[in-house]
Amino acid sequence: MKEMEQRLQKEARALLEQGKVDYIIGFEPGSLKFTTTPLITKDKEDVERLVINPFIVNNLSVFLTELQGRVGIVVKGCDSRSIVSLIQDNKVVREDVVIIGIPCTGLIDLSKVELVTGKDRDELDDIAWQGDKITVRFDGEEKVFPTEEVLFDNCLGCECPTPQEYDILLGEPRPAAPNLTASRKNLEKLDGMSSEERWDFWKNEFSRCIRCYACRNVCPACFCKRCFVEESEPQWVLPVPRWQDNLIFQVIRNIHVAGRCTDCGECERACPVNIPLRSLSKRMYELVDELFQFKAGMDKDAVPLMTHYELEEAEDFIR
Amino acid sequence: MLLPVVEYLPQTVLSRLEIYMTLESEWEPRIVGFLCKWCSYAGADLAGTSRKKYLPNIGIVKVPCSGRVDPLFIVKGLRMGFDGVLVSGCHPGDCHYQTGNYRARRRLAITKEFLEYLGVEPQRIQASWVSASEGAKFAEVVNEVTREVREIGANRLFADERNGTKAAKGS
Ligand code: SF4
Ligand code: SF4
Repeated sequence: MKEMEQRLQKEARALLEQGKVDYIIGFEPGSLKFTTTPLITKDKEDVERLVINPFIVNNLSVFLTELQGRVGIVVKGCDSRSIVSLIQDNKVVREDVVIIGIPCTGLIDLSKVELVTGKDRDELDDIAWQGDKITVRFDGEEKVFPTEEVLFDNCLGCECPTPQEYDILLGEPRPAAPNLTASRKNLEKLDGMSSEERWDFWKNEFSRCIRCYACRNVCPACFCKRCFVEESEPQWVLPVPRWQDNLIFQVIRNIHVAGRCTDCGECERACPVNIPLRSLSKRMYELVDELFQFKAGMDKDAVPLMTHYELEEAEDFIR
Repeated sequence: MLLPVVEYLPQTVLSRLEIYMTLESEWEPRIVGFLCKWCSYAGADLAGTSRKKYLPNIGIVKVPCSGRVDPLFIVKGLRMGFDGVLVSGCHPGDCHYQTGNYRARRRLAITKEFLEYLGVEPQRIQASWVSASEGAKFAEVVNEVTREVREIGANRLFADERNGTKAAKGS
């Protein structure tokens, strides 16, 4: 990690100095322990603040559509696929980005760490990779955990740890080793329910939604200038957070990002009321693969899913 | 309950859905049908002019193409308490705009499957290809869809138990 970080700082400095990019987007330490926050800078002295650690959760490609000029951007595997998807949609020009790729080992889910250690995150001294395990230090002790117990669900199922598209790669490419069962744990519970139980489950979850739109705002695939929930002529969805409209918002959002969602998991992490949003986005991800053999962000020359069709495809539901 | 026909501006679609919902009756399946103007709508017309009898449970919204049907129309229909939604367009290869129905097909496929995953009964979301010459098929589709929707009963999906009201007028 440390070497990667140093190499990143060097590369980022060089890019800014040589005028190859106007901005660098990366991660810097956050204000709380075990967190990071996005760093967007034009100043080459800032590059020393850049970090790489298992807490770089943000999908930074969300900023690409907002910045003018050439941008050097730090990405993990899933983030790089979001960029590819944005290129497919003509939202980003390939030549305008310098993609600095991290061969990703997966991100650590602090709530899982709290669960397995029984400690609050403030009581932990250190969390680090050791080989293919994670060690956590607290109370003068060191405990080792297998990745399944502490990585985010989406990281456990990652199909693309090495960025799909990059200009600079900060290390050796990593082979994918998706653990489908572990990454589908929450979905499996839903699969086992009857339709009524599932509907009640979501009804319950979405009665908590406060319609802060964090899920939409962190999502690189949600790039509309005007979102349908903000339309008033006609008003399809009420702005008041009632569960019915909250649910409709999320259903349509997922339909809009079908074929663009790379299962980066950001929506679920961003939700302040812990709605398991990935159980929706991941299902949509699977659906487009099952129905149309399409995976988002794998090939920058591919046609976007919803602007395309095959003459013969899924239609047994049509009379 | 004889439901009239409506043109396709979004405002009109919405206000028409509202009117259909305020028609009072004993519980009878209420189905909203989005029919493309070139094929299925003409098919429905033919069913009428050739005196084919079909169940009166469908309210028709005329759209320029099945490709115009936004998944939001479908979800909004359910939200307003329609018991079923039917989307119907030209057969593959016959779209007036060449590709609209192919695009509709993709969109419908994910919308339907995704809503089923959330817990919506599969029978509530229906689709058909009906050409301008298939008046008889249109009548059959409406009868079939009505029967299936009647079997699963009234749409209580968006009914709000917290204040005991029946679902959900949009605004
Ligand atoms: S982030 Fe959570 S609370 Fe906020 S709008 Fe999305 S689902 Fe609702
Ligand atoms: S829907 Fe969620 S998981 Fe998918 S790309 Fe957007 S933020 Fe990432």
